[in-house]
Amino acid sequence: MGKLPMLQQMDPLALQHYLAVGGILFVIGLIGFISRRNLIVMFLCTELMFQGVAINLVAFGRYLNNDLGGQAFTIFVLVIAAAEASLALGLVVLLFRQKNTLDANAWRELKG
Amino acid sequence: MEGILAIRTALAAASEGTHVPVVAQTASDNALAPVLILVLCVVAGLGTVLLLPSKREAVLRKIGGVLMLAAGLILAAMLVHFLSGQGKGQMSIYFWIFSAIAIVGAIRVITHPRPVYSALYFVLSVLATAGLFILLWAEFMAAALVIIYAGAILVTYVFVIMLATQSSPPGSPEGSEVGALAEYDAVSREPLLASAVGFTLMGMLIFVIFDRAPSFAPVSGPSAPSSAVNGPGSVQVLGRYLFQSQIVNLELAGLILTIAMVGAILIARRQVIVTGPTAPEVLLGPSTPVDDNPHSIPVYGTDNPRQKAYPET
Repeated sequence: MGKLPMLQQMDPLALQHYLAVGGILFVIGLIGFISRRNLIVMFLCTELMFQGVAINLVAFGRYLNNDLGGQAFTIFVLVIAAAEASLALGLVVLLFRQKNTLDANAWRELKG
Repeated sequence: MEGILAIRTALAAASEGTHVPVVAQTASDNALAPVLILVLCVVAGLGTVLLLPSKREAVLRKIGGVLMLAAGLILAAMLVHFLSGQGKGQMSIYFWIFSAIAIVGAIRVITHPRPVYSALYFVLSVLATAGLFILLWAEFMAAALVIIYAGAILVTYVFVIMLATQSSPPGSPEGSEVGALAEYDAVSREPLLASAVGFTLMGMLIFVIFDRAPSFAPVSGPSAPSSAVNGPGSVQVLGRYLFQSQIVNLELAGLILTIAMVGAILIARRQVIVTGPTAPEVLLGPSTPVDDNPHSIPVYGTDNPRQKAYPET
């Protein structure tokens, strides 16, 4: 594995840096989604994944000829995130009413 | 514990080893050698494992926090050392500040045991992301992110956290003013496996991004748009683009929002058992609890038994 042509042969602020930040946010949200048991915090981590994706989209739109499609796509991602948050929280409230707990392990019998 | 100390000493030795060539300004050496990045990922992964809620004592969690802090400080020191050798890059410092705040906020979202604090740290992460959007000439997106995410979605989350938190369990002492931590908040499932998978993915992503992709330069132009009104990411230009090129998607987005609103109202209804003329019948009541509120929403087709007798003021 040779040396990576990192920061010295690139612009000080290249597209790759924004992609890396987006990727790191996405992966952190993924880790939180897998490992937390509170249903609400799990959905909060999916919102974190949306943040990473949004950074990637806007960075691509900016660095590839100022294409506004990146920002338009981010608006639609925001729309989907809002719709998903409302429906998911409604479902969480229903699940909480059933078993009086926010534990994801309380629904273990749903596993195959 | 000895392994962690060995890793830290190896990290210090590696950083010392790479600092000297950078000072000597040789073109072939880089500020961030790949081995160092991988070692930083491993250290950060270990710190995350220790920080995730678990049944360990508080000492190990503090060690996890120290490990993360050490990895972050070493990275920051290398970056400052590298940036001081650079002549240009006036916007770079803001990028590093915003991304550091966003990433630290994200890590605290997933590792804090209390869900309200997770939501608050997520607001911090959203604000830092909005700052990154401003650097990318997307001012409307930054404002939309703050308004929609931090202003609407996170407020909804905090409301639901408030509604769905149980009171303290019966065995807890009466003197605790802060609610006891529920068991599902205190213990996370598979922190080791989750962190291993996640940080492997992160290492591979960073490697591929920086090694395989060609370097893109932003479109030539002044560092700030000459006119803020007609700049590339302003409201006018974005609105014109949306309504000229993406009109179908825009209408579909409005349709999705309407469907989600109707669906959310329908999902959260509760069943109301009302004594009918012959037998008790089950109706679907509103999600708001019908209680002493005289303006409570009546269930259609029934006599609302809880409604007060005086007229609405």
